[in-house]
Amino acid sequence: MTEQILIENVTFKYPGGELPVLRDVSLTVNKGDFIAVMGSNGCGKSTLGKLLNGLIPHYYVGDFTGKVTVNGLLTTDHKVAELSHQVGYIYQDFENQLVSPRVLDDASFAPLNFGYHDYKDRGRQSLATVGLTGLDNEFIWQLSGGQKHLLALAGVLSLDPDILIIDEPVAQLDPYHAEETYNILKKLNEDFGKTIIVIEHHTEFIADYCNQVVLMEAGQVLWKKNTQQALREVNQLLDSQIYPPQVTQAAHKIGFLEMSDYPITLAEAVSSFPCYLKNTSNKSVPDSKNSDQLESLIKIEDISFSYKTINRSRKKVLKDISLTINRGERIALVGNNGAGKSSLLRLITGLVKPEQGNVIVHGRNTRKYSPEKMADLVTYIYQNPEEMFIEDSVRKDVEFFLKARKVPDYKLIVERILRQFELTDLQDRDSRLMSGGQQRRASLAIGVAMNPSVILLDEPTANLDIATRKHITELISSLGDQVGAAVVATHDMQLVAEWANRIIVLNEGEIIHDGTRDSVFNNLQLLEVAGLKPPQILELSRRLNMSQLMYTVDDFVHSVKREGTSYGIYTKTV
Amino acid sequence: MEYTRKLSEKLSVEQVKIELLNTAYGNSNTFLAKLDPRTLFVWYLFFGIVPWFIHNQVILLGMFFFMIATTSMSKVSPLIILILSLGLLGQGGYLLIASWFFGGDITVILPLLILTLKLSIISLASITVFCSMDPEKLSDGLLKIGLPGQVSFSIAYGYRMLPSLLEEYHHIFLSFRLRGKAPEKNGLLYWRSIIYFSKIAVLSFYPLLLSTTKRARTTVEALETKGSFYGFNHPEVKKIKLAHLSLRTRDYTFLIFSIIYILCVFSVGNNI
Repeated sequence: MTEQILIENVTFKYPGGELPVLRDVSLTVNKGDFIAVMGSNGCGKSTLGKLLNGLIPHYYVGDFTGKVTVNGLLTTDHKVAELSHQVGYIYQDFENQLVSPRVLDDASFAPLNFGYHDYKDRGRQSLATVGLTGLDNEFIWQLSGGQKHLLALAGVLSLDPDILIIDEPVAQLDPYHAEETYNILKKLNEDFGKTIIVIEHHTEFIADYCNQVVLMEAGQVLWKKNTQQALREVNQLLDSQIYPPQVTQAAHKIGFLEMSDYPITLAEAVSSFPCYLKNTSNKSVPDSKNSDQLESLIKIEDISFSYKTINRSRKKVLKDISLTINRGERIALVGNNGAGKSSLLRLITGLVKPEQGNVIVHGRNTRKYSPEKMADLVTYIYQNPEEMFIEDSVRKDVEFFLKARKVPDYKLIVERILRQFELTDLQDRDSRLMSGGQQRRASLAIGVAMNPSVILLDEPTANLDIATRKHITELISSLGDQVGAAVVATHDMQLVAEWANRIIVLNEGEIIHDGTRDSVFNNLQLLEVAGLKPPQILELSRRLNMSQLMYTVDDFVHSVKREGTSYGIYTKTV
Repeated sequence: MEYTRKLSEKLSVEQVKIELLNTAYGNSNTFLAKLDPRTLFVWYLFFGIVPWFIHNQVILLGMFFFMIATTSMSKVSPLIILILSLGLLGQGGYLLIASWFFGGDITVILPLLILTLKLSIISLASITVFCSMDPEKLSDGLLKIGLPGQVSFSIAYGYRMLPSLLEEYHHIFLSFRLRGKAPEKNGLLYWRSIIYFSKIAVLSFYPLLLSTTKRARTTVEALETKGSFYGFNHPEVKKIKLAHLSLRTRDYTFLIFSIIYILCVFSVGNNI
């Protein structure tokens, strides 16, 4: 194996920074590796990436010591332009990486700038490699999130670099597109011999695709191990705020396997956990719905909605949707990107009006009331928290609604909410300069301060590291008592399985299912059609033919321990 | 009520975004759009400047009709025409009122009409030219006539960012609406509502500026790795970039036709 990347004792401090972001980092990466870099937010992962394409130390002239060699080139001696032929970097906010208005122009932008005569062919070829064909003249703002990500990938591939660094490849994608992206990376790794470095905290993807794992903490590389060994270090990963795959967590919690035998993928888990006979008397969770006592908050009657595209044609996003939302419901709105989830939420806020049909919230038809009026009843939390920050500090943002309505004693309410969302210490900070998790907390606090009857959340757990995600999930669960009903549009099936008491599946603008987690996750055909991927632990309980689907790791562990003792299984395994 | 609702839908931010993008990028199939940017520059140089120095009404009218023809050839979005007409009417109207106020009479109208005519010719010429060149083409054209790469790139990139900026602005504007409180009563001639909306329209710019600054960091880094600065400093890159520009028969035909037409207009105008 050839050593392709050699980082030797690198310490780096950003200009103006107080502490070094990287501290005495040493790491080698071999040619052809598919390597994952893990670590909590702010541990220096992205900085490590910028070290390799020469942005550090050429572009960020901070305090740099140590030596970085990439493909035999010393990064201090070679310019960013030369190093970009060796290393391609795809950002977490990849949309800002696209610089031309049309697809092919963007893909061939780099080769054109470096003076290749065949720049168009290079662009075309890299588009074909990532599977983005037939869109050469499309405008980039017409592409979906997943397509934009592929385009960003094609843009760096056009220079044919040996090494690709991808910062959180699946953070903004639905489960189906996330897997597709990883399959493309796998192809690039196996068929094109690229070395792939992903900055990732979805350990289930790491288990399926990567062969090496690097763990970073506070600017240091703790270790580099092969994937099996790395993901079995459950305690150490948990200490670093990283959650191992659900099946590994389960094995760890049950404690009947040696650490070296912990499964890390679903397939391994199926063979290492005992198999249960399918218990035909399916004990389903009692349905919480009781139609006699339902108090409806929102009535949606036969609505259709479409929007205009750039070439002035209309695109239908919602078709004849009817829906009633009742008090006490925790609704998860699921479905692929572009299924119409966000449009449905925005219709409820009154920001947009349906083309046909009516949306009635607490007896108010959104057609007749302004969004300001509807805001007394409904709160919408944007997918991108930054779009909610209209003031220059967290506190002012939280107060805005209350102050505008001259609520007496609003200061007390604000104090309480800041405490609830752990923002008291951050209240004077500019929200835009906080970390992703903090921003998300602030956006939830802003929403709760509006004291809504119905709260609508658009992808509340996207782009968060797993620990922050857990925290947000808890906060969302705690909302239950404060609001009449909550609707969450999400791809996060763990959130769906653990939190929702009603699940609505949207597909191409139509409701194809409206039920509970049992009815959704037991319906394999539905999962397939809607492109939903159940949580790993649930899939495991299905494959093991357990009497009942397990929605959380704890349920699973509990059930295995209970059934294990009664059947005397402990002695059989290992 | 129904009518105002329809009108407000037409004037939504979405709609403005679509019209802007169509104006910028949407007209690549017209005859004028297929011309070389240099042809359009030369053409514009004439029709953008010369009308100022002409007082002959016949010649001006002749030019005006030519401009109407080219504008309709370039399939300009109706919104732009509407804005232009409003602007011209407003301009002419206010001068007229001002002149009457200071004791002018009906004879004042004629020179004012001529001024409006000149302005119309120049505006229509600008619209024709800029709607027929998408920003990429404009940027290539400017590069070709010797402007530095940074300038021409900024133009193309500015347009690339425009839809994202508009969208973000729209989101922030809506955030203000979703958390703010509109006046209970519209007031005489909607003045309360107008003040309310104008206020948030201005306030929305501040968050936009801050978040854009943040996004720009990724873009600048990406540009560095994609070699744009390398490209600016290497003349051979410029050559490859501009290789697709060439003056064809179409360009010469258009210029010759314009010259002949203008000569005819001048000879008719001077003989009447």
